[in-house]
Amino acid sequence: MSNSLIANARVTGLGFVDRLVRDYSALVVCLIGLFLVVFIVGMATAPNFLTIFNFKTIIRDAALVGIMAIGLTFVTLSGNFFLLSMKETAALCIICFATSMSSGYGFEISFLLTMGVAIIAGAAQGALIGLGGNPIVVTLGAAGLLFGLGSWWSDNLVVSFRRPHGAEWLGTGSFLGLPNITIAFILIAISAECVLRYTNFGRQVYLIGANRAAGKATGHENFSMAIKVCIIASICSAFVAIAFSAQVSSAHVNYFSSEFGSSGDMTIMVIATVMVGGNSIMGGFGSTLRTSLGAIFISTVDNMMVLHGFNSGPRVLAVGLMIVFSIIVFALVRRGSRAQE
Amino acid sequence: MSRIKNWVVENHDLAFAILLAVCVYCYFAFTNDLFATHRTTFAVMERFAVLGLVGLALTLCIIAGEIDLSIGSNAALAAVIVVRFTDSLGAVTALLIAVAISTTIGIIQGYFIAYLRVRAIVLTVGTLMLLRGVALFAAEEKTVMLTDFRVPDFITTKMFGYFSPASILVIFMFILVGIFMNYTRFGREIYAIGGARKEALAAGVNLKRPMIIVFAISGLCAGLGGVIIGLRSGTAQALGLQYLLLAGTVAAFIGGVSILGGKGGVIGAAIGTLTVNFLNTGLVFNVTPAFMVQLYLGVLLMVVIMFQTGSRIFDENQRRRQIISDVDARRGPLLARRQTGPP
Repeated sequence: MSNSLIANARVTGLGFVDRLVRDYSALVVCLIGLFLVVFIVGMATAPNFLTIFNFKTIIRDAALVGIMAIGLTFVTLSGNFFLLSMKETAALCIICFATSMSSGYGFEISFLLTMGVAIIAGAAQGALIGLGGNPIVVTLGAAGLLFGLGSWWSDNLVVSFRRPHGAEWLGTGSFLGLPNITIAFILIAISAECVLRYTNFGRQVYLIGANRAAGKATGHENFSMAIKVCIIASICSAFVAIAFSAQVSSAHVNYFSSEFGSSGDMTIMVIATVMVGGNSIMGGFGSTLRTSLGAIFISTVDNMMVLHGFNSGPRVLAVGLMIVFSIIVFALVRRGSRAQE
Repeated sequence: MSRIKNWVVENHDLAFAILLAVCVYCYFAFTNDLFATHRTTFAVMERFAVLGLVGLALTLCIIAGEIDLSIGSNAALAAVIVVRFTDSLGAVTALLIAVAISTTIGIIQGYFIAYLRVRAIVLTVGTLMLLRGVALFAAEEKTVMLTDFRVPDFITTKMFGYFSPASILVIFMFILVGIFMNYTRFGREIYAIGGARKEALAAGVNLKRPMIIVFAISGLCAGLGGVIIGLRSGTAQALGLQYLLLAGTVAAFIGGVSILGGKGGVIGAAIGTLTVNFLNTGLVFNVTPAFMVQLYLGVLLMVVIMFQTGSRIFDENQRRRQIISDVDARRGPLLARRQTGPP
């Protein structure tokens, strides 16, 4: 009795620090602080850092990983950890899109076909997860399956299509001086945030992530939710695949693997973005806005390191350190808030 | 006969794994003349040397209710270190350094998982990236190579028909870990924190100790696996070996672990790994491209997970029905008495 009274008193009379800890805002403060530090260091040491062109580069670099990470944020928020099959879904989708484009179907049909493939892949994984399969193991298996399918379909070859094609506006076009892919990133970020904040579906995502038992008791099963969020994540993967394919007018299953990109494997980069942005991996807390900021943050650090001429080793190391740092801060903050209860 | 039947009923997971292994072996033995030969058995054992270690490590992690995603990166780091330092320090010293580093990484991971009370997947996805960065650093972003090829020759020497020094070491490791898991208190603690963590903690198990032991063994196995791969091929890549995670997980799940933890064992891990190796070797014999192997492994993992999830749902329904019928049975006489009224 007295314990609960004390607890109530603490809840009503929260101090500033308590509130920081309780709302997990400490992490955001940390992130903003780090961002400022990186920014100032970048400004002071790299001469080309503070140019408009460089900012555009940073955001454009953040866009592809950012869009995928926004999709994954839904999965994470709903308490289903993360999907290890993000890059493999993208690999299958990029093959699907390029094959369709090269065999003469227009952009619209190819787009819809690719989205269809993504929805099927997402729904299948979501159904297995929703039935109670562990998300990590299910998507690990799905990753092998999807990647194998993509390789089998393309015969492990590069699929390319001729240059004047219907998708060029998405890949290389720009609007008001901003690349279209950047605009897409901003639009997706805003709409995802609106969906999470102002729709029933968004609130259900938070509810199921924060307390699955409560969600079940109020009639929100994880089964349908898992399917929905996995489809969202897959669609975002497919969109990134299409945008990337439109940029380079070709496709190969390894485009998103670590052998191709310099800064590591796409799936891990996406998970890193979600984590560094300050979303709770256990679900129920976070937002896509944070994910977008995380993407821009990682991209800024990467950009600064590139300007200083670092190789890929230190850059991958930096991202790894950022993830581990964010995990540790998050866990410590959570322990702090647990101790209050 | 009845003894066999009892054994099968008691260890149905293991029986299923053995059946699957025999089926896969027989399929390839009948479809390909070259498969059931002494040389192929040697090749299978050579694969077993690496994948067995990873399967063993993942089996232990899953028994403890966690999963170590950083196993491929850890192995790649060990491979890079051993290949880089073999020329200057000698194979044995380089091997010891690499394995020591991997084990230390495992210990640190285990400590942080227990101390921060985070799920292992959360931390190990971070260390996956971190260790890859360290490996790139250690390899200076190149493919490192040995110059002296006496070591790879020694490691692949044929002994007793089917074995090489590497596979003998791995079999020895399996026996050691098996004894540790089954006959020591620490091993039982690992089962306890996987199967019923709250109860184990309430009973006085310190979460740190089993967690550190599990991840230390996992790091040791990953390091040893990486060392064997690195020394056997004489080259190492910082970004390589990422396929180990999928293959090892498939092996662990075929071997009968449950994602809920607390189930499975070392024998299962060995049989699961052998099944994956039969599949892998057999597919290579039938000239299947590498990506198809990945596809088959993915399908296999999905099927096993579907099977497990299905049986869990079935069990839950059964239990619910049991409870309802129990309640009905208890309420039956009560209702009857109420209807007839008090005597």
